[in-house]
Amino acid sequence: MSNTMTKEDKKLIMELFKSSFMLEGCYNYERQQALGYAIAIWPAIKTFYHTKEEQAKALVRHMEIFNTTPHVLTAITGVNAALEKEASMNPDFDVTSINSIKVGLMGPFAGIGDSFFWGTFRIIASAIGISLAQQGSAFGFILFLLLFNIPHFVIRYYLTVVGYRFGTGIMGNAKESGILQMISKGATIVGLMVIGGMSASMVALTTPLQVTLGETSFTIQSYLDQIFPLLLPFLYVLAMFGLLKKGVSSTWVLLITVAVGILGALIGIF
Amino acid sequence: MYEAMIVGLILGALWFIEKFFGTCMVIRPLVVSPLVGLALGDLQTGVIIGATLELVFMGAIQIGGAVPPDALVGAGLGTAFAILTGQGAEIALTLALPIAILAQSVKVLLFIVRSGFMTPAIKYAQEGNIRKMKMLNYAGLILQSLMYFSVAFVAIMFGSAAVEAFVNNIPESIMQGLNVAAGLLPAVGFALLLLPMMNLKNVIYFVVGFILVSYLELPIMAVTILGILLAFIVAYEKGSFKPQSVNAAQEGEEDLFDE
Repeated sequence: MSNTMTKEDKKLIMELFKSSFMLEGCYNYERQQALGYAIAIWPAIKTFYHTKEEQAKALVRHMEIFNTTPHVLTAITGVNAALEKEASMNPDFDVTSINSIKVGLMGPFAGIGDSFFWGTFRIIASAIGISLAQQGSAFGFILFLLLFNIPHFVIRYYLTVVGYRFGTGIMGNAKESGILQMISKGATIVGLMVIGGMSASMVALTTPLQVTLGETSFTIQSYLDQIFPLLLPFLYVLAMFGLLKKGVSSTWVLLITVAVGILGALIGIF
Repeated sequence: MYEAMIVGLILGALWFIEKFFGTCMVIRPLVVSPLVGLALGDLQTGVIIGATLELVFMGAIQIGGAVPPDALVGAGLGTAFAILTGQGAEIALTLALPIAILAQSVKVLLFIVRSGFMTPAIKYAQEGNIRKMKMLNYAGLILQSLMYFSVAFVAIMFGSAAVEAFVNNIPESIMQGLNVAAGLLPAVGFALLLLPMMNLKNVIYFVVGFILVSYLELPIMAVTILGILLAFIVAYEKGSFKPQSVNAAQEGEEDLFDE
């Protein structure tokens, strides 16, 4: 791809930047930042799809669960926008790969974003703010906000540019036949592994059950941990997948989960 | 009344700004405490408390799906009670932590309630109605801002004694049950994400990713890098890739868990 961006590209990038701020307006457990993401990617959908049906299809696709560090979102929407452009022009494009690529990106960007913005950047800014505030200066918090947010806004903007260029680059090289499907297969592998890893780190379920044999009691959890750490979360994710696969609606699965949590705690198995 | 109102408004407004401008850190104690102090006529104490609480809540940040103790409510109410009772930064510190932990479960409840917003959100998406989706996003944000207003208003109206009594009166089993449910709910999201991707042929990659974290405790970055390498090996290096295989896998997809 060429390094020169058209006027339309620049306009789209500005719109993606502006629409990225309310990612967590409706953060929730079921789909986390999904609604915010669908809104953030809307400028691309609006630009590349021209019928209501196509736009609706793309919006629905982006209502899947999503979670990343808010400050680096534009890197992902940038890549995503380039993919939507390709998808809108190439009827053979496998759109499920867009979600796979999104999932593949959200993990690493959450990792980089969290350690950079939360771990490094915020710590430096608050260290300076705190030292001023401890002397009683009200400028401490103003300086803290400026030190954090000026780089935050600049980085957020440039990540949009970088993401879009990178995404266009992938697509430019991927035009030869077969490569798209190869990317799709590869993206599915990465996506499944990342979801597996995130399930392990974010779903929490343990049991306090004990079995008493004679004098000694055994904590079941410690045995489970020796056989397969985090076995319960693992089985729970697969069980919910099984329910959904059978056609149970996501709302029901959600209600079942809340009930399992409360009842499980009441009868003392969780 | 005035105090309850103004502190409630500050907390609600700060949350709105925080999520309107892409998590811009205005809900940190360093910012919250001076503003509450200013509103209650003691900026100086607010600034000092802010510095103290910022250190205490340094680790209280939201990463991933885990809800940390709520620094906004903890700092806001801790500072307000310290100034209103005429006590110093120590009382702010003592009050801020238990309040923050209590507020954490209110937030968990809100995240559960807002899961219910996803059903209309998907309906609007299916209609291609971006305007309603944006309105829903605002509604979710305003709901949470109102929650912060109410929590602060009620807490200050009825004082710290009531706050303490309230904490002690929630049945322990319900609190615990909500915590268990909060730990489980991400599973629903991940299952939904897996739905279009996973079948019997590739479930193994999900298991590999899970085990890398559960057994080996690798960070998610490492899992991603390994995933990319494995994808490269499987899809390219081994040369086992045939252009039709992806489609074939989808058409002949055996339904996992379907007898």
